[in-house]
Amino acid sequence: MKQTDHYCLPLKTASDLPDLKFGKLTPIATGDETSRAFQLLDTFDDTLSGAGKLLWDTGETLELLTPRDGLLRQPATRSGPFVTDLADGPVKAALGEVSPLRALLPVGEGDIQETRLSLVDGEQKTRVRINLRLLTTQQGESVAIVTLQGLRGYDKALAQVRKQILASGGAPLGEGSIYATLFPGRAGYVAKPAILIGQDEAAYHAANSIIGTYLPIARANEKGIIDDTDTEFLHDYRIALRKIRSVLSLFSGVYGEKATLRLKTRFSELMSPTGRLRDLDVYLAEKDKFFALLPATLHPGLAQLFDMFADQRKEAQTALSNHLKSKAYRQEVGDLVDLFAKGKKIKRGPDADRPALDYSRALIWKRYRKVCRIAAGIDAQTEDEEVHRLRIQCKKLRYLMEFFGPVFPRAEFQSILKPLKRLQDNLGLFNDYSVQQDNLRALLDDLGRTSEKKNLEIAQSVGALVAVLHRKQLEERAKVMKSFGNFNSKTTRDTFRTLFHDTEGKK
Amino acid sequence: MKIIACYSNKGGVGKTATAVNLAHAFAEAGSRTLMCDLDPQGASSFYFRVKASKKLKDASFFKDVERFTGAIRASDFDNLDILPANLSFRDFDIFLSRMKNSRSRLKKALKAGGSDYDVVILDCPPNISTLSENVFRAADCIVVPVIPTSLSEHTFEQLMDFFKANKLERKKILGFFSMVQRSKKLHRETEDRMRKQHRKRFLDTSIPFTSEVEKMGIHRAPVATYAGNHSAATAYRDLYAEVMAHLK
Repeated sequence: MKQTDHYCLPLKTASDLPDLKFGKLTPIATGDETSRAFQLLDTFDDTLSGAGKLLWDTGETLELLTPRDGLLRQPATRSGPFVTDLADGPVKAALGEVSPLRALLPVGEGDIQETRLSLVDGEQKTRVRINLRLLTTQQGESVAIVTLQGLRGYDKALAQVRKQILASGGAPLGEGSIYATLFPGRAGYVAKPAILIGQDEAAYHAANSIIGTYLPIARANEKGIIDDTDTEFLHDYRIALRKIRSVLSLFSGVYGEKATLRLKTRFSELMSPTGRLRDLDVYLAEKDKFFALLPATLHPGLAQLFDMFADQRKEAQTALSNHLKSKAYRQEVGDLVDLFAKGKKIKRGPDADRPALDYSRALIWKRYRKVCRIAAGIDAQTEDEEVHRLRIQCKKLRYLMEFFGPVFPRAEFQSILKPLKRLQDNLGLFNDYSVQQDNLRALLDDLGRTSEKKNLEIAQSVGALVAVLHRKQLEERAKVMKSFGNFNSKTTRDTFRTLFHDTEGKK
Repeated sequence: MKIIACYSNKGGVGKTATAVNLAHAFAEAGSRTLMCDLDPQGASSFYFRVKASKKLKDASFFKDVERFTGAIRASDFDNLDILPANLSFRDFDIFLSRMKNSRSRLKKALKAGGSDYDVVILDCPPNISTLSENVFRAADCIVVPVIPTSLSEHTFEQLMDFFKANKLERKKILGFFSMVQRSKKLHRETEDRMRKQHRKRFLDTSIPFTSEVEKMGIHRAPVATYAGNHSAATAYRDLYAEVMAHLK
């Protein structure tokens, strides 16, 4: 049973460590001090650092410092930047939180100096082991990480040493970013930042700060899209733009009518060149699932289809990359950033000065009622069109709730957000199957226009796929009424009413 | 989980040195190893610098699995834990006798305490009067150091008789010659005679009489850690390999 914990130590304490006394325990050095080069790795959104982990590559080994299992190692060889590209080993196994869609990118480089100490008692028996790692970057910034390893039966000694480390300024790994210390000025990326909106803040300011926050988030993803680092950059880029567009359409009356229309058009134009690449990314990410849907006899056609998708993706990626690099795009997006950074030039609408709390309650309540109205009209016979409408309204409701989340009591808010998310999962699948069928049908039409022989094989597979997707869509369709019932329980209804409608709900 | 008892019904034959060096060799080879110091006079805990915890007067010590596993201490070596000399051999014997299927119960008890060992080595006391059937039955093998002298020969015969009288499996006994001085005629003759007499009971490895083994008391560590290239360290490694082969 290994028990380890890691702390960041002030540099002074770290250098004094070999001469410190820990109660009756004395440190003695075991083994030689070693020094190796490292390259720190993490995803663009710092998944590992967020989980209190540190991953580095020494050229020969890949090493992962984890709060639970101490230091894990495996050979550094890997076939690509994704976790799935690593050889099977303890490091790979402990990287569960990293999305398979996220590339591991270099955070920075430097040297690790490692010193090992044993804390021994009067009998020279080791009671606690200490591993001191000094990470120094090429720019000369340092961080000292001390790892305590307890030995079975010596819990008291470990607790005492831990106490002393904390008292001398040690901070548990994961609290505060090591990256910030090692790489000052490094801009960390957060896809979903908490936007502070005061209850009495004017709706106009709230809208400005939401858009003003998400625009730089969209922009932060541009480089990753251009370099084609991983597909999540484009995904995050689109989500940020979609949130901005939903502010424009949902916060009606905050900006002047003409200004709103004009902004809607401008953001819609930013969004539209991205759709094609995103669709192809989604197909390619689900390749295995598609193969699993069809019998092996139809796989050759499917393989050709995916080869075609891969080629098309290359084209779409180049096109989007060129677009993002273009002068016109840079000018336009720069202008928009300026506009919202200053936030004064946009014409105010009739609701501009309403307090955020009051305004958001009205918006959310209205949207919730709308969702309920549509859902009430859905039965087994209703047209799919209505289910799509329900999905869109749920999405709008979700965005509104997320924007204004900080204004409301957290626990109650979460209690209605969670069931909403589950309903949206159902509606989302329904929609995905539907959109994929449409796209594949359009593809069939295109294939029909050329008379190449291989196209026949592809067409057979696509035809079968459409049939399977149709069946899956029906399955999801059949769940909608039940999902809505689960979402709209009495508790949910009461919470919505209290938070967003009742007069005594105002705080 | 395999149980190896280090036993001798005669004192001063290098039994504790065997337990300590064998345990270290198993751990070094990657087996998760627990060494139980059951010999109140033995010094295996001392060699690993583990202090004995408070003497447990309570005979029902082993009733409480938590207290049993809670007494285990990590050694300074990977894969090697020590149960220090805080219980009597009698207690352990009672513990085993309470368990119908001793080995699997012992394994379960250890596992419940958060430890899953591949090998448990028992450093048993050199006491013929409290000779325990339970330990012998539970053990997979009983490693018995024998100094090639007439007196040792006699006590080894006694052990064989005991096994016979109590219908214990004699093939579990793995004898080996300890503290051997090949320069002495008596040692050479006794060894040859005993190997002939108990052909299947003796391992090929002999541990030479050497000051390096005696120095364990100064270093308070297994021989391999301070004299890894010495003939004694090599001999213990050979002993480990032979015992390991018998366990398979």
